[in-house]
Amino acid sequence: MEGRPTLSDRLLPGSVLPDSLLEVRLKHRVGGVSLDVAFCLTQPWTVLFGPSGSGKTTVLRAIAGFVRPDEARITCGPKGEILVDMQEGIFVPPHLRPVRSAAQTARLFPNMTVEQNVAYGVQWGSHPEDEQQVLQEVMEKMRLTTLARRKVDGLSGGERQRVSVARAVAAAIAYGGAGKPLLLLDEPFAGLDSVLRDELVVLLRDWLRQWKVPVLSVSHDAGECFLLDAQVIRIAEGQVVDQGPVEQVLAEERRRMLERLRMGR
Amino acid sequence: MDFEALWLTLRLAASTTAILMLVGLPLAWWIASGRGVGRAMAQAAVALPLVLPPTVLGFYLLIVMGPLTAPGRLLIRLAGHPLAFSFGGLLIGSALYSLPFAVQPLVAGFEAVDRGYIEAAAGLGAAPARVFFSVVLPMARASLLTSAVLAFTHTVGEFGVVLMLGGNIPGATRTLSISLYDLVEEGSYAAANRTALALVGFSMIALVVIYLLPSTRRSDGRQADVVR
Repeated sequence: MEGRPTLSDRLLPGSVLPDSLLEVRLKHRVGGVSLDVAFCLTQPWTVLFGPSGSGKTTVLRAIAGFVRPDEARITCGPKGEILVDMQEGIFVPPHLRPVRSAAQTARLFPNMTVEQNVAYGVQWGSHPEDEQQVLQEVMEKMRLTTLARRKVDGLSGGERQRVSVARAVAAAIAYGGAGKPLLLLDEPFAGLDSVLRDELVVLLRDWLRQWKVPVLSVSHDAGECFLLDAQVIRIAEGQVVDQGPVEQVLAEERRRMLERLRMGR
Repeated sequence: MDFEALWLTLRLAASTTAILMLVGLPLAWWIASGRGVGRAMAQAAVALPLVLPPTVLGFYLLIVMGPLTAPGRLLIRLAGHPLAFSFGGLLIGSALYSLPFAVQPLVAGFEAVDRGYIEAAAGLGAAPARVFFSVVLPMARASLLTSAVLAFTHTVGEFGVVLMLGGNIPGATRTLSISLYDLVEEGSYAAANRTALALVGFSMIALVVIYLLPSTRRSDGRQADVVR
């Protein structure tokens, strides 16, 4: 790797993201929940926080293009590119959206190795060396290097989860279009042991920030939100009840966590 | 045994299988991912040869390909000769008659692929064609093989359509099953027995191949109905 500039050297200077990354207005009935949310993403990492069944996953799937909402307008980027406008009949198909995603259940392609899975969404066709480097870095950071040539069917749950997240991260970094896509991660750290989870959370946060890949993730774990130092959108029963920095939105959760720690002592 | 008929049968079966793979793949994918009345109509049309007497299909093809109708006259002008009583006509008849045997295993195989995989690939930026070839098709490869083997063997075994449409022209339309019929009519039972045994052996081998294939399982653990 000597003699070549590392990919980090090629990152653009400055660390400011555009004022508005994504604007969502969404109404949708699914199961027993009637979803009615509106929010705007402005921070590098935003977490949709709420109990299960509150509609978080549906919001993510609507942004990715896997759900046709009853009523919605979703725009992204500084120019307000329209992804969905049900009134105007605009519905951009998933693969054409500036969005990359990993679902909650890791659907790894069974006919490929771990490395081939991670490489699936990499699009920098004209820069094979950079592609290789991004792949290697993702594999290292997600602790997958030793599994690279393994078939996916023998992996443990935690390993599968890491491959699934790594695959989406690689696809977001090596995005073929202009700028960087929004990365959607549904419970990305679920099923990992807590030590590894804490390590990966911090690592991914810093690394994706460096690459200027904005993230919208779903979680019901307050500790994870604090580690991410994220913007938090709290959802309950299909409605946005609060949005702001984690210290503010999850102050109550924080108090309770500290209480529990004190009691355990 | 009539080796000319054997050779013709194998050529017909191979060509029919090739045509059915080309037509059947997109058709099966469309049926598997479609819904509503259009999908039901397509499924019914594909399954029709299963319930119709082959003579009905043969009769209509004979009419359509013959000089009595406008499409028939057009076909004759395009091909330079009537398609009925020729290898080309036989090929069209075989393809239509074996269509359900090629399409239905594929539909079952595609439907067994969890939608989550298709979404995972699309969420990584893959266009539908890439999703199909890199994810769906490899996951349904057992069904693909089943489909090809069934299309081939069913063509080898067909009789009614061939008789209606092709007649009995050595080298052009006389297949093994027709040859067997002739042998019995002539009273040559020993030769008929050899031909019949060849057909039984062939079908047995093909079926063993199908049942040796790794089974296609749905995500919910149920066995997909590959042969139905």
